[in-house]
Amino acid sequence: MSGLTFDPLLSWPLVGALALLGVLVALWSLWRGLRGWAWRGIAGLAAAAALAGPALESGIRHKLSDIVILLDDRSASQSLPGRAEQTDAAVEELTRQLSALPDTEIRRVTVADDPDGTQIGTALTRALAAEPQARVAGVIAVTDGLAHDAPMLPASAPAPVHVLLTGQAQDWDRRLVIEEAPAYGLIGKPVTIRLRVEDQGAVPAQVAQTPARLRILLDGEEMRSLDLPPGVTLDLPVVPEHAGQNVVSIGFDAPQAEVPELTDRNNSAAVQIQGVRDRLRVLLVSGAPHAGERTWRNLLKSDANVDLIHFTILRPPDKMDAVPVDEMSLIAFPTQELFMERIRDFDLIIFDRYRVRGILLPQYYDNIRRYVEEGGAILVSAGPEMSTVESLNLSPLGAILPARPTGRVYAEPFLPRLTEDGERHPVTAGLPGAPAEDAASHWGRWLRMSQVIPDPDAQVVLSGARDEPLLLFSRVGEGRVAMLTSDQVWLWGRGFEGGGPQLELLRRIAHWSMQEPELEEEALLADVSGELAVTITRRTMKVTAGPVRITRPDGQTEEVALTEAGPGRFTARWTAPGPGLYRLEEGDIGRVLALGPAAPREFEQTVASGAVLGPLAEATQGAVLRLSEGMPGLRTVREGRPAHGQGVGGPWIAITPREAASVSGMTHRPLLPGWAWLALIAGLAVAGWLAEGRGRLRST
Amino acid sequence: MMRRWLAPLALLFWATALSAQDEPDPRLVRAADEVALAYVVTGDSEVDAASEAGLRGLSQVLTARTTVEPGEPIGIDPEQDDLSLLAFLYWPVTEAQAPPSPQAYVRLNHFLRSGGMILFDTRDGDIAGLGGPDGAAALQALAAPLDIPPLAPVPADHVLTRSFYLLRDFPGRYQGREIWAEAPPADAQAAEGVPFRNLNDGVSPVIIGGNAWAEAWAVDENGLPMFSIGSGFEGERQREMTYRFGVNLIMYVLTGNYKSDQVHVPALLERLRQEEVVQ
Repeated sequence: MSGLTFDPLLSWPLVGALALLGVLVALWSLWRGLRGWAWRGIAGLAAAAALAGPALESGIRHKLSDIVILLDDRSASQSLPGRAEQTDAAVEELTRQLSALPDTEIRRVTVADDPDGTQIGTALTRALAAEPQARVAGVIAVTDGLAHDAPMLPASAPAPVHVLLTGQAQDWDRRLVIEEAPAYGLIGKPVTIRLRVEDQGAVPAQVAQTPARLRILLDGEEMRSLDLPPGVTLDLPVVPEHAGQNVVSIGFDAPQAEVPELTDRNNSAAVQIQGVRDRLRVLLVSGAPHAGERTWRNLLKSDANVDLIHFTILRPPDKMDAVPVDEMSLIAFPTQELFMERIRDFDLIIFDRYRVRGILLPQYYDNIRRYVEEGGAILVSAGPEMSTVESLNLSPLGAILPARPTGRVYAEPFLPRLTEDGERHPVTAGLPGAPAEDAASHWGRWLRMSQVIPDPDAQVVLSGARDEPLLLFSRVGEGRVAMLTSDQVWLWGRGFEGGGPQLELLRRIAHWSMQEPELEEEALLADVSGELAVTITRRTMKVTAGPVRITRPDGQTEEVALTEAGPGRFTARWTAPGPGLYRLEEGDIGRVLALGPAAPREFEQTVASGAVLGPLAEATQGAVLRLSEGMPGLRTVREGRPAHGQGVGGPWIAITPREAASVSGMTHRPLLPGWAWLALIAGLAVAGWLAEGRGRLRST
Repeated sequence: MMRRWLAPLALLFWATALSAQDEPDPRLVRAADEVALAYVVTGDSEVDAASEAGLRGLSQVLTARTTVEPGEPIGIDPEQDDLSLLAFLYWPVTEAQAPPSPQAYVRLNHFLRSGGMILFDTRDGDIAGLGGPDGAAALQALAAPLDIPPLAPVPADHVLTRSFYLLRDFPGRYQGREIWAEAPPADAQAAEGVPFRNLNDGVSPVIIGGNAWAEAWAVDENGLPMFSIGSGFEGERQREMTYRFGVNLIMYVLTGNYKSDQVHVPALLERLRQEEVVQ
């Protein structure tokens, strides 16, 4: 920052002219043979130079210190055994050595744990941007190298970037990789989870040969187990069994070896598949057109998830008229097809005021019974025909119906009421407008029902006239049967005496029959709100519900007490200590709850590697070194020189002092003071005069 | 002075009495149990007798030919009776009939909204040739306060033409040209390969015509027709078609668009094809 400047006293042409004059005088003197010509010329030039005003200019400089960015990685993967100590020791040693260097500042950057993984790139970019480029003398990162934000890494840096890797040379890990998992699946239809087992690092020979023994659990129930060699991709078919969250947990035990694998936290994964119901097929069989039939149609046709197949017996076999068949819009009831061949296509069969009148053969009823026992559902909405000889109860189907008619029909207005079970049962609990002692308004009445004797194992949820059972549920094999002993639910829809929630009640009955999980009597629900806060709800037909036993991912258990929130509803709020797979149990009901990421990103890869940070180090002439091979020495080298190498005492890394400085002002100093110029010019002139004078003396 | 106060008070007591749990009208309970057909009592004894006899005749036809077995028809006074227990109301339109009170209209509108159906019959066979549902001034006056959707002549593919019998027209004692029902929505499209448009999934709350159906259906105590239709064999054929319309109408009331369901279409299609060949 220093240099020669000119500040001419006269304008440049005059200075030039003076210089020219000096030269001409010297030439003339030469021509005249004057011996002092050179002195004269120099004197002229000196005069011109003096007029040009030469001055020395220089800046006032302050030396700036060098900055070394020291980055330490404290993400979860750095918590693996030994790594934290390694990091601490390396950071301490580097700090000591760097502080010993003159004019060197240390900038500490700590990469903390982040849900998105280790964000070294972001941290580094931010740290470099915060410092003046000219002062950064080096970057030293103490990490396991497992950065998850490679795109955020700077392409280059103004100084060498050194990566000191933690971990040991013999580190190895076997992990489970879920390559592909569907988020949704149709219930009962298999979906495929693609997975593989991967070995990383210095895998011991005896482990590399052995396949991993995978255990696969669906909702905590052992589904299957199989051996999978590492590196082989497996397509695992899984069948979601119910609506809502189906948790598939896949895992294997840590392989036995002298050096244990780094972590077993990536040996398992929980895949959550949302079970979605396929369109439901409902077969509605109306025994005769009646005022309530359109109620069923309105309900089932307005439900977008239901495909309704409806048959009404418009003309019984024993009635004929003379009308030719081609003037009639009647078709034969395809009973064989519906009740024998395609019965399993239906999720629910509704018998709406169905009378046994020889249309269905006995073997069809047997088949319907089998269908229910194997998981189907029937709903009987019975009118007074139930109390006659044409009752469905007298068919082979009667064996699975939840009640037997006595033959008596109550033809009197009555108010449907929730029974004690009904207040707990999800189908009837919370129906709006239910009769209560203090409520001024309530449902409308119905006018007719049949008397039945319920089976001992049937649940009566609504009662009608004289507290006789009105709505009954029972389970047969794997299927369900619902029975409504009155056909007058349509009066609610019509608004008789104010009506009632007829659509909602029928919808719930139908969906309960089809095993909709939201309407299960015995259910253990867990609503996750926020990260780890869980609201546990136990729905039960029992009067009490014990504490919920929670099994944590590490096998420890705790118990959470439930408080009654309403009839048949017990709730508790609970916060999980951390992410993972929890098992909730109360009585004989349990469920699996996956909280947080199934396999934390930090533990996907665990073997320290310079693969991500290597290119940056190479681009800046830095080094990737393993701390397990010894702490490298620290040197300083000039910019542009290799910043690492192998010395006598081991490997070394270097920082490049930048010699940065700031200029805080300028000084302007004439080259010579005025009197010196005068003396110089005069001296030169005198020298010329002396030379010439002495020569003349000599010649004369 | 007192009187002016008494009237609203009496109304209030009457209303509270209704909302209390008094016994419902046994006739209406029977109607709900037996799907009895009901008619509006007009006050004109001849018309009322014809309505009752007509509905009785139709009930007998239904009982004889179908699974629907209605009980004795009942006469309804919309001023007093609770309509929510009924499914179907036959309403002969007479000039002399006094218009219902506002409360009755509230009840009638609720009846229509909640799935009931009224068959308005101007009983004039549209002789005036006005051709519209409001051709008769009396009907216009009667129906104006009702919540009736936009109407249109029943199209040839309406479910009413095939809810039990296959019908082309809907004769009564007269063979009026058209009967009117809720207009199909503008976006009703013919599904591919199906001869019927998928018309309004709901059921038309009113059917309006003038063919004097009750008179055509009417039978006396001996089961014999009370009114003559046409002449000779043609007349009897028309009476048969009248019954078929009645059956279709009640099936439409009770099963709604059941016959529109796709599941029936292939078989019906087959039959229609055969019919075309026969012609």
